[in-house]
Amino acid sequence: MTTSEKLEFTNNPKLRSENRHQDSPTHPEPYVVSNELKKAVNLAIYLRRPLLLEGDAGCGKTRLASAVAYELGFPLYRWDVRSTTKAQDGLYEYDAILRLHDVQTQKVEEQLPADEIESDEDEDDERLKRNPANARHYRKFGALGKAFKLKDCPAVVLIDEIDKADLDFPNDLLTVLDEPWEFKIKETGETIRATYPRKDAEDDVIDCRPIVIITSNKEKGNLPAPFLRRCLYHYLEFPNDAKLLTKIVKKHYQIREETPPPSALVENAIECFLKVWEKDGLFKKPGTSEFLDWLKALHTFEPKPYDADLLKTDNLLPYRELLFKLQQDWKKYAKAS
Amino acid sequence: MSSFNPQDWITPAFIRLRQSGFQLGVGELLAARQAVEGKFGESREELAETLKILWCHSLSQQIRFDDIWKSLQVDSPSKQPEKKPQKEPQPETHQAVVEEPPEISSPPPQETVTELKPETELSSLPIRAPFTPVETEDTSVLQAYYPISRRLMSYIWRYLRRPIGDGPLNVLDINVTIEQTTQQGFYLAPVYRRQERNNAHLLLLLDQNGSMNPFHRFTRDLVETALYESDLQPEKVDVFYFHNVPAASIYKDLYLTEPITLLTVLAACDHQTSILIVSDAGAARGYRDLKRIRATTSFLFKLKQYSSLIAWLNPMPEERWIGSSAEIIANLVPMFQMDNNGLSNAIDIVRGQPLKHLH
Repeated sequence: MTTSEKLEFTNNPKLRSENRHQDSPTHPEPYVVSNELKKAVNLAIYLRRPLLLEGDAGCGKTRLASAVAYELGFPLYRWDVRSTTKAQDGLYEYDAILRLHDVQTQKVEEQLPADEIESDEDEDDERLKRNPANARHYRKFGALGKAFKLKDCPAVVLIDEIDKADLDFPNDLLTVLDEPWEFKIKETGETIRATYPRKDAEDDVIDCRPIVIITSNKEKGNLPAPFLRRCLYHYLEFPNDAKLLTKIVKKHYQIREETPPPSALVENAIECFLKVWEKDGLFKKPGTSEFLDWLKALHTFEPKPYDADLLKTDNLLPYRELLFKLQQDWKKYAKAS
Repeated sequence: MSSFNPQDWITPAFIRLRQSGFQLGVGELLAARQAVEGKFGESREELAETLKILWCHSLSQQIRFDDIWKSLQVDSPSKQPEKKPQKEPQPETHQAVVEEPPEISSPPPQETVTELKPETELSSLPIRAPFTPVETEDTSVLQAYYPISRRLMSYIWRYLRRPIGDGPLNVLDINVTIEQTTQQGFYLAPVYRRQERNNAHLLLLLDQNGSMNPFHRFTRDLVETALYESDLQPEKVDVFYFHNVPAASIYKDLYLTEPITLLTVLAACDHQTSILIVSDAGAARGYRDLKRIRATTSFLFKLKQYSSLIAWLNPMPEERWIGSSAEIIANLVPMFQMDNNGLSNAIDIVRGQPLKHLH
């Protein structure tokens, strides 16, 4: 792979490159990508700007990252954001207490020479024989930190549900995800910098700036404008089209290498599902993942697959518990329509 | 379309979008240029798609982009005939006219006017047309009078804090623990600090109904953000409502049905209570009612006996205060327009740290 070669995501898991990174996902991701989304991903890879995905729950926002990482053979680092997450958590964590603990226990135990363990390439090794004299043994990299350290290929970093975090969080992230693509570890004085071709450098280096995919479902209002400005934006819509859903089902079973449900059942299930989905007055519309679960239940929950014709004539939907998650919706469909 | 040059399209589109209120910076313009260099905009449709991904940050923006992009179409066919010899333009414009009808059906009517003009005069009008969006701009401002967003409110509330370490003794102070251990030479016990709590007390007095009707969503957001999306403790936020002028009794609910006497409310206040009043003070309808001004004055006088941290937020823009009772009341109490700056200045006042340049 040279720098001149353009990275491209085509959504064909078979194109997976041979020399893949060890942290790359090991299972292919059944994922159907629209042309617009494919373009958005490729644009994000090309410009190395974060791609912000919005859309209803269960439409495959999170899955995209793993599909991209699998095909390109890049490592996937996932960072699940919680309400207490700080931007620094994604870069590194420093365990001062452990260091203090080690200082105390070492007085009892035999001490390892500090300089013997200089190499800090492999983190797991380093953790086993750490020396409190070396502060580097007590820092642990987060998802973004790991991605910044890669030297031979970029990583896909998934920042999941960014809207859950504190108000300042997106803005703090921005300073890292921009020139000069570096951050400082203040406890050890190190500067971690992503490798990428710079204008002044002569060496032909691989662009290892992370490919960042961010998901949000606008639970807590809008993201700040400066952050949005820098992101690429794509809105994932529910595939409310019978053809698309059929394609998704096909791909899903093909890649998972499971026997697909009989086509009559798939067809009727899709028709039935879309009828429910398009009906007004649903408080929470079921997403793609709910549909796939429901189909699986129809197919394999009972020893025999659910009768396709019965599905059409049924007044009550079978396995409603998979589709309706709110009391109002449940009640509405509990009554024979 | 073989002569399609995407770089020519980027800048006009960028300017148009910025005029329509898209928040884009030079960085985004450069990114678009870079994307085009990377072959992400080989045709008109492709470029539109690329720019949409790059420059639109919500569904509604994407829809607006489509309209703007369509109106930009007028721009380039008119540019092309200019470069070509004088004879050719006639068939060109006819083509353009033939192409237009299917598009006319969807965009708003003003665009059809600008697009039909080329038939009579070719040369200069179509170029100017996209850059005079006066009418469209005006209506968009009217449609979305949005002085302050909810996000900004919850952001600004955070500055209202009076942290007091009176919580449980359960916060591990790592730095002090390590420092103490190194001083002693051995480790004894971790050092804990008390949990900090925000002790600020906020009294929100909101004008309800009447001329405040259009602003109810802002006052509602203000209350919700103060209660649930700020660092303030919910039990330390008191919200009361009044109509026009706070009288001897104000109301606990926004439907003005549960009265409570003002004295009871004020009894819970001390000199550190932050008092924020939200009312248009007659500015919305331009009233200048002496009776109301007098009543407001006596109310403010009563308030000032309890706390001096009082600010007034006026949802009407400052230009509209002149001539109404708001102008007079603004002399009695720091009054601010309810926008980003106004709210942060008001919070500065009620937290007792006013900016110097204001006084």
